[in-house]
This record gives sequence, C-alpha cells and structure tokens, in this order.
Amino acid sequence: MRLCLFLTSLGLLAAPKPVKLQTVPATVTLTGAGASQQFLATATYPDGTQADVTADVKWTAKNATLQANRATAITDGPATVEAEFDGLRAKSQITVKNATAQRSFAFARDIGSILTKRTCNSSACHGGVKGRGGLKLSANALFPKDDYEWITKGGAYQVLSAEIKGERVPRINPADPEKSLLLQKPLMQIAHGGGKKLEKDSDDYRTILNWVKSGAPYGAEGGIATLASLEIYPPMATLPVAGAQRLLVTAKFSDGHTEDYSNQVLFSSNNGEVATVTPDGIVKGKGLGETAILIRAAGFLASAPVGVIGPAIPNYPAVPRANFIDDAVFSKLRKVNILPSDIASDAEFLRRVCLDLTGTLPPPERVREFLALRDPKKREKLVDALIASPEFTDYWTFRFSDIFRVAIFANGLTPKFSQKYWEWIRDNIATNRPYDEVARERLSAEGYGAASRHFIPYNQIGPPADVMAEEVRVFFGRRLDCAQCHNHPYENWSQDQFWGMAAFFGRLFKAGPVVFDHPSNMDWGSKDVDGKIEVLHPRTKANVKPALLDASPLALKEDANPRKELARWMTAHPYFAEASVNRIWGYFFGRGIVDPVDDFRSTNPATHPDLLAALAKDFQKNGYNLRHLMKTIVLSRTYQLSHQHHPTNKSDVTNYSHSWSRAIDAEVLLDAVVAVTGVPETFTTAVSDERAVGQAPANTRAINLKDPDMYFSRFLELYGRPNRGAIPERSSRPNLGQALHMLAGATYVDRLATPGSRLRKLLDTGATDEKIINEFYLAAYARSAEKEELTDLTQLISKRGDREAALREFVWAIISSREFAENH
Amino acid sequence: MRTLLLVCTFAAGLSGADPRAISMHPFTGQRGLAFTATVRGNNIKDAKAAFPEQPGLRISILNTGTEGKSQFVKLNIEAPTPGRYSFRLVTDSGVSNSLPLQIIDQPILPEPAGTHETPATAIPVTATPAIFTGMIAQKGETDFYAFDAKAGETMTFQVLSGLPSIGAPGGNANGFDPSISIYEPAGSWFDPARLNRLAFNDEPLWVLGRGTDAFLHHTFKKAGRYYVRLDAFSGQGGPDYSYYFRILPGAQTLEPPPGKADWDERTYTRALSADRLNDLAQRGGKPRTQKSVETYRMGSKFALPATLEGTIAQPGESHRATFQVDGPQDIAIEVETPDLAPPLFNPVVRLLDAKGDEVVTNFFAGRGACTGALNKGLTPKTIFPLRNPGTYTVEVRELTADLAETGFKYRVQIRPQVPHLGKIAIEEDHINLAPGGAKTVRVTFDREEDYRGAVAVSVENLPEGVSVLAAADYEPDKDPPPFPGKRERYVPRTERTVLAFSVADNAALSTLPKVARVIVRPVVDGKPGATIASKEIPIMVVAKP
Repeated sequence: MRLCLFLTSLGLLAAPKPVKLQTVPATVTLTGAGASQQFLATATYPDGTQADVTADVKWTAKNATLQANRATAITDGPATVEAEFDGLRAKSQITVKNATAQRSFAFARDIGSILTKRTCNSSACHGGVKGRGGLKLSANALFPKDDYEWITKGGAYQVLSAEIKGERVPRINPADPEKSLLLQKPLMQIAHGGGKKLEKDSDDYRTILNWVKSGAPYGAEGGIATLASLEIYPPMATLPVAGAQRLLVTAKFSDGHTEDYSNQVLFSSNNGEVATVTPDGIVKGKGLGETAILIRAAGFLASAPVGVIGPAIPNYPAVPRANFIDDAVFSKLRKVNILPSDIASDAEFLRRVCLDLTGTLPPPERVREFLALRDPKKREKLVDALIASPEFTDYWTFRFSDIFRVAIFANGLTPKFSQKYWEWIRDNIATNRPYDEVARERLSAEGYGAASRHFIPYNQIGPPADVMAEEVRVFFGRRLDCAQCHNHPYENWSQDQFWGMAAFFGRLFKAGPVVFDHPSNMDWGSKDVDGKIEVLHPRTKANVKPALLDASPLALKEDANPRKELARWMTAHPYFAEASVNRIWGYFFGRGIVDPVDDFRSTNPATHPDLLAALAKDFQKNGYNLRHLMKTIVLSRTYQLSHQHHPTNKSDVTNYSHSWSRAIDAEVLLDAVVAVTGVPETFTTAVSDERAVGQAPANTRAINLKDPDMYFSRFLELYGRPNRGAIPERSSRPNLGQALHMLAGATYVDRLATPGSRLRKLLDTGATDEKIINEFYLAAYARSAEKEELTDLTQLISKRGDREAALREFVWAIISSREFAENH
Repeated sequence: MRTLLLVCTFAAGLSGADPRAISMHPFTGQRGLAFTATVRGNNIKDAKAAFPEQPGLRISILNTGTEGKSQFVKLNIEAPTPGRYSFRLVTDSGVSNSLPLQIIDQPILPEPAGTHETPATAIPVTATPAIFTGMIAQKGETDFYAFDAKAGETMTFQVLSGLPSIGAPGGNANGFDPSISIYEPAGSWFDPARLNRLAFNDEPLWVLGRGTDAFLHHTFKKAGRYYVRLDAFSGQGGPDYSYYFRILPGAQTLEPPPGKADWDERTYTRALSADRLNDLAQRGGKPRTQKSVETYRMGSKFALPATLEGTIAQPGESHRATFQVDGPQDIAIEVETPDLAPPLFNPVVRLLDAKGDEVVTNFFAGRGACTGALNKGLTPKTIFPLRNPGTYTVEVRELTADLAETGFKYRVQIRPQVPHLGKIAIEEDHINLAPGGAKTVRVTFDREEDYRGAVAVSVENLPEGVSVLAAADYEPDKDPPPFPGKRERYVPRTERTVLAFSVADNAALSTLPKVARVIVRPVVDGKPGATIASKEIPIMVVAKP
C-alpha cells in the first residue's frame, strides 16, 4: 500500500482511499506550564496496511496552541486536536492540568537530557571511559550526581582511582555564566574537538545558561517524580523502502504521569543500510530488512524495532498455527509482508528433528518406517520418542558440557574432576531436573561435589570478577564484563553493580580440593599471613559487599554461603527464564531471539520480544522443564517450516519464515559420518597410538567423550570443536583445512569401504547400485534418492570401469556434500 | 668433596639393574587350590625362586620369558588359608619389590579367552555370588558381563585393581582406576539393541592416598537380563591391567581397606585413644605414666586433657565447649574424623579467647609462592603455646556452610604437648648389593611437639659380610617459602639420618634374601627408649654385573 502511496505521490497511480484515520495518542493529560504533546496520524487502507500520514494531514486544535502536529497547553480543562486526511477525520482528547505551574528544575532530567540528546555524553565523546578533553560524563547521563560533580567542580577522571587527577577546572562560570565552558565549547567559541553542538538561540542553550545564572543547583531530587520507563509508538514500525514513520516517545514517571519526550531524546539507527532516523524521530526506509532505532534519554535507553518491508501480499493466506510460538512468529510475518514457507516434508522434518533433539541421524529403516506412516500424529509421537530416548540424554549432556565447560583445564586440571562434573550434568539431563534447580546448585556449589568443580579452573579458584561474569553470562545471557573496569559504556550497568555482584564470589576459597565460602567474621588463620577476606573495588578501593544487580548491598549472614542468596535471586529473576529459553531456541533455529544468545542488551533488542516473553513465561509455568520447552519448540509450525524458500522470504534471516540451514557441529558431524559409513572412530589420547595412554572404548561417539580435550582428533579441531577454555562460541565458517581434510583426511577417505563398513556389507550381500544409492541417501539425508538423482548416479557408476571404486567415490561424495553437512 | 666421593663410591658398588615386578595376573586365588599367575616387570626373566613374606604361601616358578618390552615370570601359587599375602622374586640381580596377593574362600572364575566388548560376547554370570579375575588387556578395552536379575533384586558390584591408580598407595604412572557401569538392553528408537546405562560408579573419590576401586549396589526395577561393563579410567589398558570383580547378592557394605601399620599422627583417620598421652610419651622415650584422656560431649565445660566428641548433623552447626587454663601451657589440638574424612567432611576447629577472638585454628594459611595469593588448608593437628591464663572456648564446625550429615563425626583431643618422635620413614624396600659395594638408606623422622632427644637407628640380622655404618649425605639447601604462615603450628620439624650398607669384597653371594630389621628408638636423658619403628628389609649379595 505504501508503494501505492509513493507511486501516487509521483502521479503514477490513482490515489488509494484510506478507510480509517487514527490519531495517537487518543487521549493525553498535559501537566504544568508549557506542557506539549506531539500527535501522530495513521491511515488504514482497504487491504489492512497502515501508513504514517502525520505530515500530510491538516491539524486543528481547540483550547491549545498548535505548531504543526504539536499542541501546547493554554489553560486548565479539556482541549482537542483534530486531524483531517482524504476526507477522514480523527480526534484526540487533551486534559490540561496546572497549566500555570512551573515545573521544578532537576539537573538529572533537564541538563541530562541536553547532554544526551546533543551526544555530549556518548561513549565516543565525554561519556567514554576516561571522558574526553578533560571532561568526564557518565554515558547517557546514567550517573547524574557524578556528572554534576564533574561539571560544577571539574577534574580529570582516573580509571583505577577515585582520586581526582590534576587541577580542577569547573565547566561553569557562575560569575560570568555566558563564559562557562559548558556553553562556550559546544558553541565553538572555544576550540571543541566534538565540533558545534549547540545553537545560541536554542531552548537548550537557554536552559543551561539559566541554570548557571541561578547558581547551578542540582535541583529537585527527593519527592520529585523520576523517569520510570520509555514507551515508543509504534511498538514496531513497518515501512516500505523510501517510506517514513515518525516515532513518538512517551516517558512514564514514577508518580504515574506521562510526558511526550520525543524532543528530549537522541535517536540513532542500529543499521543505516536498512533505515535511518532524523534527530526529531522520523524513520526512513532504506533497504529491505530489520533493524532497531535506539532511543537514548537521560539515564535511559530503549529501542524500537523497525521493519523495512516489501510490497503487500495480495490475499495473504491464513497460516495454520500449532501453538503460541506460531502466533507470535506468523503475526510478525504478516506485518512485515513475508509469507512463511510451506511445512517441511516428513523427510526434512525427520532429519532436522533427530539432529536437533538427539544429534543423531535416523537410520534407514526408521526413515522408511516414518515416511510410510499415515498417522496424523506421527510427528508428535516421534518427538515424544526422541525426547525419551537415551540419545537425547547423550546429546544434551554434550550441549550443556559445552556451556558449563567440562574440560580438564577448566575443572582443576584433572580428568577425574571433569568426568565427575560431566556425570553431574548427565544425571541432570537424564532425570530432566528442573533447570532452575540445576542453576542454583551450580551457582552455590561448595564442598567436594561435582557442581563445585567448575569453580577451580587450573586448580585455583578463579577471580571473583571472572567467575561472576561467567555465571551471569550463562544464566542471565548478559555480559557485564565491560563494567569491571568502568561503568558500562552502553548499558545501565555500573562498576559498583559489577563489583557488588562479584562480591558474592569474593569469599570463595578452596582448601585442597574443597570449595567453600570463607566467613567474613572469622579469622581462620588469615591473620597468620596478614590476609583479608574481602573484595576491593578497583577504583574506590572500598571493601565491596555483595549486592544484587537491582538492589543495595544485602545483609547476609557472615558465615552463610552468600551464593545461595544470589542463586535464589537469579533463578527467580525474569532474566533467567528469558536467557534460558533464548539459548535453547538458538540451538533449534541457528540464532537466538536475541542473538548472540548470551548478549542481551538494550542495543541488541529481541527480534520477537513478545515471543521471548511468552516462551519464558511458559518455561517458568512448567517448572523450568527443558524437555517441555524443547517439545513446545519442535511442535510449532514455525520449527517445522521447510527450508525451501520463495521470493518473499528468501532474504529473511531473522523472522523464522523458513528453516535456516545450519552447519552441523563438529562432534555431531563426525558421529554422522560414522553412522553413514558404518565405521567407528577411534579416539586416542595422543596423535599416535604408540604415544597414547588411553583410548575411548570402541564405538564411543564424539558427543559422548567425557573429556573431549583429552582426545586428539584432527577432524574435530578442523571443524571447530572448542577447547572450552572460555564459554564456547562455535564457528560454522568453512575453512581450507576442512576442504583438504575432505579430500585426503582419514575421516573421509579411510572408511569408505573398509571391512564392516556399510558399503562393504551391501557389496557383500550383492546389493544393486540402485539399492546402495538409496541406502546411503536414507542414511545420510533421511530421504530416498530422487528419480533423476538415481538415474544420473547409476549411469555414472556404470560408466566407471571399477564399480567398487565408483561406489567408494559415491559414498565420499555423499559425506562431503553440503546437504549432509548441514541441518536444514 | 668427601661426601661426593662417598656417593661416587657407593654408586660404583651398586648391583646391576634392580629386578622390578610391576603387576601380577591374577592377583587373587582360592584357598587350597593351586593357580597359575603371571608376574610382569623388568629384569625378572632370570627369576630363580619366589620369596613368600608370610608363612603358608607356596610359590614355584613355572617358566620365564620376554613379551614385548616386558619380561614375565609364570608362577604356580597355593595358600591354605585366606588372607592377604605378599612375595618377592629372587633373580640373579637380587630380590625384587614386594607384590601383594589375596587368597579367598570362594571359587574364582577366570575371564574366558577372547574379547568381551559387546553384549554378544559378554561373560555369562550364572549365579551370585560370582567372582572373576580378568584384565583390561588393551587401551580402550571394556569387559562386559551378562547376568539376570529379578524385579526388586539388589546386587552389589565391586572391582579391585591389581595396579593401583596414580595417587593411590603404590600407584605408578600408568595406574589402573577401574569403573563399573550397569546397562539394560532396553534399546532406543534409533537402535533397538542399544544398551542403556542404569548406574555408574567410578568412585570412591580420587583423594590422594585412597584407592579408586569401584563399588556399586543397584536395585533392578524389572526382571530381565542386564550387563555390567568394566572400564579403565580414561580408556587406559594393557597387560598390567588386572582386576578382580565380584557380584554379590543384596546390598553389601564395602570392606575397609587394610589399616596402615606405620605410625602417622597427621591423618584424620587415626584413633585418638584415651591412652594417647602414654603412647606419645613412649615415642618420646618416657615411661607410660601419663593419665588417660577424658571424653566430653560438646556444650559442656571440660578440663585438659580432653577428647570432645560430636556430629555436625545440620548445615551451619557450630559446637562449642570451654575450659580453663590457669597458667602458660603448650597445647596440642588433634582432630579425628572416624567416618568421613576430608575432603568429604572438613572440620574446622578454632580456639577462642574469653572475648571471642580466634587464638588459633587448624587452618594453615599461607601465600602461594608464585602469585602471593592467600591459600588455606585444614590440618589434623595443631600445636600452640597458650601464654595467658583464662577461659578458652573450642569451636568445631564444618568448613562449608551448607553441608552436614550423620557421618560428619569428629573427635577433637586437646592436651598438653608431649615431645615425641612422630612419623618415621625408612626409604628402602629391599637392598641388592655386589661384593665391595655400598648403599645409603635414609631414615626420616618427625620431631613432634618440640622433641629434643636423639634418635638411635640400628640394624639387626644382616647377611654375612654386610655391615652398616652411620653416614651423612648431601642435602641441598632449599629456599624457604616466601610467605610461610605459621608453619611451626602445623608442620613438624623433619630430619633424617643415613645408614650406609656395605659389603665386604669377599662376601659370599646370596641364594635367597636375608631379612634384616631396621630399628628406631628415641634416646632421652642418656637412655634409649623402647623401639618405636622397625622395618624388615630383604638384602641379597649378588654378583657384580
């Protein structure tokens, strides 16, 4: 429809008639002198699409002054704003209160907003770690009291010390306010590396000047309403290429009142190739895709997803929905004019779900059986069988061994420890232990128990900061690391918050192999070596007490395990459920709803926030049951869509409109090669058998290696097996080594027709070429060969003089193919 | 220089390569039944005889040979009564180290020939109790056993290693730490023949000084066929990986390992008896005229010497008891954990003054030599000079805040210090010397609780032509730890003396070892005390290589 509007504007098409006009906000209360509100007008067209027509309507107002689409209160009482467009009218009701009451000044809000909107406190400028040009500001005005200090008293910030460095030069001049550096620099009256940031005739200039003239007070603090949240309209903007959408930012305050904040924030686009945004919040579509508009207010950061969409799809079909996942995904697809692919074929679904739930390819006989079944519930029954299978336990033990870092070097330098830790993970998976219980046990583990092994990498307790950051990343999906040395430059995490959290691990000690929390009120021999049990803030050098991310320091019993309280709080926090479901979702779709799965931040918003919330709620409601979560995911139609795409969803990478082909992880791929060829892999503890001390039992699968770092495997190294020295981030990018290994490596070449192999057995039973081809197709691709494939392959084999050599090459081609190496 | 010359002389006088027995398979036999066993090792192929160390054990050599890089000796073994035995091999190069052997009442089945790595080739177990001897003969090998169980039936499974694991007593670089897994052939959607693991044990925990043999009992929910799989830890294996495996009906308790005969007062499991003051006095060369130690429950007042008993049954519990000191007194605090010892139960003992301040604890704190980081470790014995009279409180708690159970039993003995000789170690297991040769043997001893007396070491029952001299050897200086903490409270002062065994040029060659006895006694106030340690060392005079 917007394309139609665009073409209409060029005079190329007859104007479509809107069927409805709507103004936003429909009702609003303006409080205080000079309070104003911007209004937006949205037209709805016969096909259901909507367009921002704010700039095209005729605005009128009663009992309010009007400048373009912004109304300002005059006197207490009712007022209206009306929009007229293409014969349609819409009206918004305004209630004006205390129209003559001047608002109290607050440095945090009034000066903070200017510094934020003018990018003075951006992380690239004075909001950087050490500030810029001798002035340090908190990023995004997160810490207004610090900002007030730096501006009114001056001084240079030091990262590792709270002491003020050098001469203190105030940025204001109360004796001659106009000569304040805070004004002269952004006006470029004095050289300013950041360039001109302020105009002398602007409201912002006057606000700062008047503030300095009035003695530069900090202003209202206690008793004044504080900014509680930002709401963006529309919650998700969709617009065509070259289309525009104005954003309306509404601030909600702690006393419940709201204010239009659209002109007090800084807008920026996460991806200028998809959409740009003007300083006054008008988003312009540049290229098809999705991005987010970041909105920075003083002390707050919010984001608004934006979809730059293709043309409307006539007669968009009703897509069947299996559960709430489909509701969220398909609603969005409808909105962004993308049609989902068809549901995957049984063969496609079978291979995908087997790999995703168990890391195991279905054997040919099971493929035949499943494809032949006519039971409408066969997919659900299959999922139940897979989730109950021992292969499920094997696979998810492997998955969580990755996240939880089961490795000799990560677990105290001894395979005994790492194997014990692995067994603990396996027991939890096998018994489907609620994930919140698992998390609590791991977070608060002490003694000689398996779960405590991860606290002693290299046989030493890790530094509290590192340990805490890892736990938060694993269970909260957030990376606080930047706040270790300074306030986080992009997020609302302060250095104090970081160290408050780290302090939960500050009493963690080991006595031999025993992990314990040293009571803070007991000596326990510390005086003998002048040792103190404390966590020092690196900047202030203060002894930091444990404090939860969202709270003040806790009054914990001094001889209790402080991590128990942390574990209780973390697992009850909404972050835990959303990070957990997002991580699991990522395994099934190749990307998280927030992606990377452990990088939740306001500048990296979820593609489907409603879906994330619904999954988290369902996970929590069902007792943090991982199997239930996985079953819900794989039974959704979204998961079961085909990887075959069509023109409207070909370029979609974020909306799950089709299945996304994903490289199979190294261990699973090696097991798949073994399964298809029928030749087991031998895992030894050294490069050569002679030097090996140990060897994994015959037929051990790669995913079942308890201490993978003990077993050498050229294949696994080449295909990206992580060493688990840090939380693994697997790369699925192909490399030259893989290509060479495919051509000459033992995994591919040495097992094609060895005794006991699938091919050898088939040859020995006198199987025809056609039977052999089909058998390998079923084993590798979970499907029969297409007629054309069969014809081509049998011809190729018959043309080759040496039948066995030809069949070996065929097997090699199968296991080297992209279709085999990917899950799709 | 003189010391160096002495060492050079001694080195020149040593016999050829020492015979070393590494493993024996099987290492278990049935009472009264002769069985064949193979000893593998180095320099044993010319073995002439076996030298039993206990009466009743009869061993003869069947043949010897070489297999790969190892040599072997095949033996015929028989013993009339069950028990733990040991023996050595006698070769042209001398006597070997000692090899353990157990004789039991029950019949033993050897692992059948062939591999048993699949259910199809599993060794059948037709009835319980069943006892097998077998071997994880190759790296990565597993042995399957097949058996039937009734619904609700409980069975006990135990596997003992013939090659102690690394870290266990007698362990070597290729130790054998066996594990047990129980499987049911329940199949899966992918593989109807798949074995699914029901239970697993690779414990007891790997605690230095303890064995790692696997022990497991399991109750089977369903009647049917089951499999048990034996593995070596981390896929190790080879001809030395001999095991003893038994399946017993019901839930049997684990037999305690044989107790250590040597005195070691710095372990949590030694018994702190009421007669301990006398035991210590004797080791200090004093008469046994000390009073016995009273036992008290926690929560009461007590008088020194005392043993306090309790159990940390609930997380966070701390137990206290008070006592009065009327004048300066040097005290010792010892901790015994009769059921569960560290790292499972970790008792922290603190001595508090009347204000509640910590005076001393059994935590040894020090700083790491590399990073200077604060390290801590619990100790079973602490000594401390109490200088101020007054009321003191003993507090006992578990190291962790959240762990507790009925097995967290402790006995804390607080007593005046009694100077004595502590642990004594005589380093050699056997001595093989050529005529004209000599060898030094170090005897190491701990001076406990400020024992200032002398130590007398003598050797009896030497072979003809062998004599022993007092000697000294070179001990290089070591840098003291940079941040030692209060070591003197937790670590005894260790010293050593050296014996030089020498053989006359014309000494007759031995045909069998002669067992000499090294005896250690304290010497106090000019008088030798009773024997407090002795060790038998087989000695042979052998031809020069």
